[in-house]
Amino acid sequence: MKTNDLILQTVTKVVLFIILVFAVFILNAGHHSPGGGFVGGLLTTSAFVLLSLAFGMETVQKAVPVNFRHVMALGLSIAFLCGIGATVLQYPFLTHAFGYVHLPLLGETELTTALIFDIGVYLTVTGATMTAILTIGEDR
Amino acid sequence: MAMQVLVNLILAFVWAFLNNDLTPVTFAVGYVLGFVLLFLLRRFLPAPFYGRRIVALVVLIGIFLKELILSNIDVIKHVAKPQQAFTPGIVALPIHLRSPREITTLANLISLTPGTLSVDVSVDNSTLYIHVLDISAAEEVSDDIKNTFEKRIREVTR
Repeated sequence: MKTNDLILQTVTKVVLFIILVFAVFILNAGHHSPGGGFVGGLLTTSAFVLLSLAFGMETVQKAVPVNFRHVMALGLSIAFLCGIGATVLQYPFLTHAFGYVHLPLLGETELTTALIFDIGVYLTVTGATMTAILTIGEDR
Repeated sequence: MAMQVLVNLILAFVWAFLNNDLTPVTFAVGYVLGFVLLFLLRRFLPAPFYGRRIVALVVLIGIFLKELILSNIDVIKHVAKPQQAFTPGIVALPIHLRSPREITTLANLISLTPGTLSVDVSVDNSTLYIHVLDISAAEEVSDDIKNTFEKRIREVTR
């Protein structure tokens, strides 16, 4: 029984990018509204899972040619170094700083070190969930 | 098509930079200006002018809304009847659309209008299987889809 996944695949091609943009938005919004690194990471994973449902696992591995274990490690390192940075400046571990910076074109922007920590969380969650799903999904 | 939209966006950027004012209003004015210029020089462009497609898209949306209201009324009539006076069934509709985008749009428009539901696409993309509420009106339904949605979608994409 051969089936035709044409509609699913065509919709996936569009929706994938919308989900990924929404994931980055959620990651960025986490400081003042609901969201953050964890939800952003899960959303990114869900986008890749949708891709693998529509096109198969090989497509995901071709489209995102990274080892997700390395992504996990990278995320943990970023989060850890973000905490270490505070101790270097004689503050307690994981003390966060924030400030208002005047950037060209964007105007008054609030920059926080918590966002760096959040990016670490984001990468860790994406790497961990993708690793779990890809290893369970493999036929071997 | 995509190239012309890109040129139009670049013209809007140029207009905004020339005015030294990067606000959305200036950008919109620049976009409209670029649109008019592209329209005036449409014979010089390698591909057909993309404004025609935008008009076709608006027409398609209008026709879809009309169909939506009419078929909703149809389904309400069926629901309000005390006995079931119809037999549901599945119709094979031959389609003359080529690209996956066109077929997906058609299938989704059919699904969104009540009373019809696209079930599957054949493996060679030549037939769409539609579940209709009333099989006695199948001819009518398939002609309707052919003459409204399919024709209009082809006008938008080609």
